[in-house]
Amino acid sequence: MAEDEKNKNPEIVGFACSYCTFKASEMAGSLRMKYPEGVKLIQVPCSSRVDPAFVIKAIVEGADGVFVAGCHPGDCHFIKGNYYTRRKIAALKEMFNIFSMKEKLRLFWVSAAEARRFVEKVTDMYNDIKEKKNEG
Amino acid sequence: MRTGIFICHCGHNIKHTVDVKRLCEYFSTFPGVVVSKDYPFVCSEPGQDMIQESIKKQGLDRVIIASCTPSLHSELFKDLLKKSDINPFLLRRVSIREHCSWVGDDIEINTEKARRLILAGLYSAAHYIPLEEKVVEVQKSALVIGGGVSGLSAALFLSRMGMQVYLIEKEDELGGHVRTLKNVWPAGRDGKIIIEEMIKDLKGQNNVEIFTSTTITDFEGFFGNYEATLNTPAGEKKLTAGGVIIAIGFSPFDARTKPELHYGEDERIITTLDFEKNGDRLKLPEKPRVAILHCVGSRDEQIGKPYCSRICCVNALRVADAIKTRYRDAYVESFYMDVRAHPRGGEEFFEDTQEKGVLFTRANVAEIIPAPGGITIRGEDTLFGEVFEREFDLVVLSIGMSPPEDSKLIASLLKITLDKDKFFLEAHIKLRPFDTAVKGIFIAGSCSGPKDVEESINHGRASAVKLFGFLNLGYAYVDPFISYVDPKRCSGCRMCEQACVAKAIKYDEIKRVVHVEEAACMGCGLCNATCPSSAIGLKGYMDSMIDDEISAFLEAI
Repeated sequence: MAEDEKNKNPEIVGFACSYCTFKASEMAGSLRMKYPEGVKLIQVPCSSRVDPAFVIKAIVEGADGVFVAGCHPGDCHFIKGNYYTRRKIAALKEMFNIFSMKEKLRLFWVSAAEARRFVEKVTDMYNDIKEKKNEG
Repeated sequence: MRTGIFICHCGHNIKHTVDVKRLCEYFSTFPGVVVSKDYPFVCSEPGQDMIQESIKKQGLDRVIIASCTPSLHSELFKDLLKKSDINPFLLRRVSIREHCSWVGDDIEINTEKARRLILAGLYSAAHYIPLEEKVVEVQKSALVIGGGVSGLSAALFLSRMGMQVYLIEKEDELGGHVRTLKNVWPAGRDGKIIIEEMIKDLKGQNNVEIFTSTTITDFEGFFGNYEATLNTPAGEKKLTAGGVIIAIGFSPFDARTKPELHYGEDERIITTLDFEKNGDRLKLPEKPRVAILHCVGSRDEQIGKPYCSRICCVNALRVADAIKTRYRDAYVESFYMDVRAHPRGGEEFFEDTQEKGVLFTRANVAEIIPAPGGITIRGEDTLFGEVFEREFDLVVLSIGMSPPEDSKLIASLLKITLDKDKFFLEAHIKLRPFDTAVKGIFIAGSCSGPKDVEESINHGRASAVKLFGFLNLGYAYVDPFISYVDPKRCSGCRMCEQACVAKAIKYDEIKRVVHVEEAACMGCGLCNATCPSSAIGLKGYMDSMIDDEISAFLEAI
């Protein structure tokens, strides 16, 4: 890996459900909470809209990490969309594990009110990935 | 394609940490971008005029507004596009305030992030298609589930406003828990009289059908045309209603859940509800010693009920007051965690009770030990930090509210959500406290969390007003972000049909392909992600749009 490539800050693509996580990210912004600029969000109606192909596409195109975030289990606006997400991402994680890049994919639940949790989760992921990247 | 990009300064909010001018210049060089402007406040009147003028002059067919988050001002900008005679769904909002300028402080980094965000918007908007908001007819009728005090008040309001009302009740008579209360806070009226008056009013209306001893067995449909199957004593009955109000009340906490209280094993250990029913008939000595336990079945993590039931402190105070009124020399001791006299006048009543000589001890009661001579209470005084043991003639447990027995059943039938305590969850705690996430289904009364009678009546009426507003319009707009199936690509594997939570996907046996029932589709996009043949697309969130957004973020195009 080239030296300048190594020092580049990680790029993280996040899929955020409109009803919970995207709302939390809006709130985090309004509260002027800081998180790394490498985290960029794509709004999806429900976390279940996330096709595993999107995750793979992001990794192939150079993302250092991808996260899928939705409502807490039981709170899904679409009743049980996030249960499907949980299964899908679990299966995808198995696959990522085979390629030794388990840490590149994360799934977490953030409700609309949990701006702080959102910031903690994404910062945590960013820092972990950055550390791994520096280790080379 | 003629795209216009408008970047907002939002005063200093965006401009301060994002180099807006540089972004404007950058995007103006893009093919297809005919307008690239920045403006101090695009949401202001002159800002809107500027956008409208650009649309007219340059004949734009895509509008990208990089400003605050999409949920703010979205109606305003949609209307602006409608006024300018272009489809409002060709608008793309890019959040460069909540998701960029407010998140970081470095102007270089933020400008780069904003550039990628706008780029994603630009690429994704290229795939936008004009969409139409669909109109469906709405039945002017309502189904009220539960004939308690909040259900009755909701039914009464709706029927007076001319809606056909179907009221169903599980028990053989209407009235719920309030019917059994002899004196309802704060006026002290008999609950039975309150209920009888409401029933009389309701039966006087000619557009109300009441079904008692009836349960709901099946529920289908969508807003405006819900279809419910009822199990009535006269057999099965199907009916159609425009909207639903759920008012199935609560269950009193079963004190047997806590074996250390020995409730139900000794007749000298009773609950506040027992006291309400049979308080007059209690046999007590001349100078009785009475203990009252607060928070039985509330604020108790161990039994999974961490919430405050709101009504039980006042109930406990009323028992203490009643005993003190009847036996002047009684020794009444109340064991509390905190006294939360919620309703109006509650705090004053608490003070009155203290003045009457009721003793309040802040304590955790560990055990109640019934013996022939008396009942011993053992616990810890949490202010002194001492363990105590005292003997009483009567123990009254101030029980809280538990979620209704049928909450799980109703939630799964009507596809609505329960909160962590198994009460019904509102769509938004402040902005939409009566709505559920499903359009046209409302919650009323204590099934959405502990409430007293006054609050339950108000909650019932408020839900009825909200539902009336929806029904009276006679039509409803269906969100156009719904799935569609390309029949040429569909292989008929029916995986989407299994996945669809709203049951909006139907299989056509003859053509061997599926189609989407537009009015039922909720627009989650699960089918889109499930389809192995890429035959399904969710309008507004199509694969191509999300793919290009990813590429734009990573500069892979």
